[in-house]
Amino acid sequence: MDKLIIADREFNSRLLIGTGKFASCELMAKAIVKSDTEIITVALRRVDIENENDDMLSAIDRSKYLLLPNTSGARNAEEAIRLAKLARAATQTNWLKLEVTPDPYYLLPDPVETLKAAKILVKDDFIVMPYINADPILAKKLEDSGTATVMPLASPIGSNQGIKTRAALEIIIEQANVPVIVDAGLGLPSHAADAMEMGADAVLVNTAIATASNPAEMAIAFKLAVEAGRKAYIFGLSTVSKRAIPSSPLTGFLRD
Amino acid sequence: MEVLKINSDDKEFPDGIPHTLTDLLEEIGIKQETVVAEIDGKIIDRKNFAKTQLASNQSIELVRFVGGG
Repeated sequence: MDKLIIADREFNSRLLIGTGKFASCELMAKAIVKSDTEIITVALRRVDIENENDDMLSAIDRSKYLLLPNTSGARNAEEAIRLAKLARAATQTNWLKLEVTPDPYYLLPDPVETLKAAKILVKDDFIVMPYINADPILAKKLEDSGTATVMPLASPIGSNQGIKTRAALEIIIEQANVPVIVDAGLGLPSHAADAMEMGADAVLVNTAIATASNPAEMAIAFKLAVEAGRKAYIFGLSTVSKRAIPSSPLTGFLRD
Repeated sequence: MEVLKINSDDKEFPDGIPHTLTDLLEEIGIKQETVVAEIDGKIIDRKNFAKTQLASNQSIELVRFVGGG
């Protein structure tokens, strides 16, 4: 597959994996390995000092993956920036998935606060990958402000609804000069393939893999779907017609 | 009684608060290499944990990575 390039770094895989909701660290680690992903997202949360849990990252070979911390839980730009700085201290890298979701019911991203935070973080040398609604104008403004990608949603986080924002995603993809990573709501490998066939540069999947009865096998299914969708996009999608267009010759029939 | 505010909760130290951030993490049983710390809103680099002196009534934030999308 052709390489995905984000902020001058090359990736062979176009499937990003989220690490939430796995039943165990072992299942998560196995799914990550099987997916051939190179970018995994993580969240930052307070340590529960009364109930010390094992460090989830100990199950992952960190040298093989780009750890992409998110700012989930941030309700405004200020909280996102604080989380971003903590994440940078923890990873020693500047990569960041910017997420500002004030509404806990639909977890839809706040466009105003996201753009505000992105501008500040870009100036502070973060490689900003913002999670956004599928809004072409916002995507353009983020790109113009220096974000490394845009990450428009297909449908609400964890909803598995597939691509509900098709028309807007198509415009974002058409206009973007940075990679477009379709994030959130991809519940099936066919949804991921669909996004890639549309020309998305990559997809991010978490829930559909983490909550599968066998996450490692589902990770493989998504990997294959992403590869299939990318190949279809690169090597020429056929046109759609209302009428039948015969595949077999309309001559030489065995009749008078 | 000496107190540190850790992740918004007051924690009392009847025998006095730990001298450094490293001492605190050891006392509460948390592996230093897995956490990020903020004291009174200022991020402390992990390499400076051992030389970061603590004072009573400071507000300490201890965070770490968890699974997330």
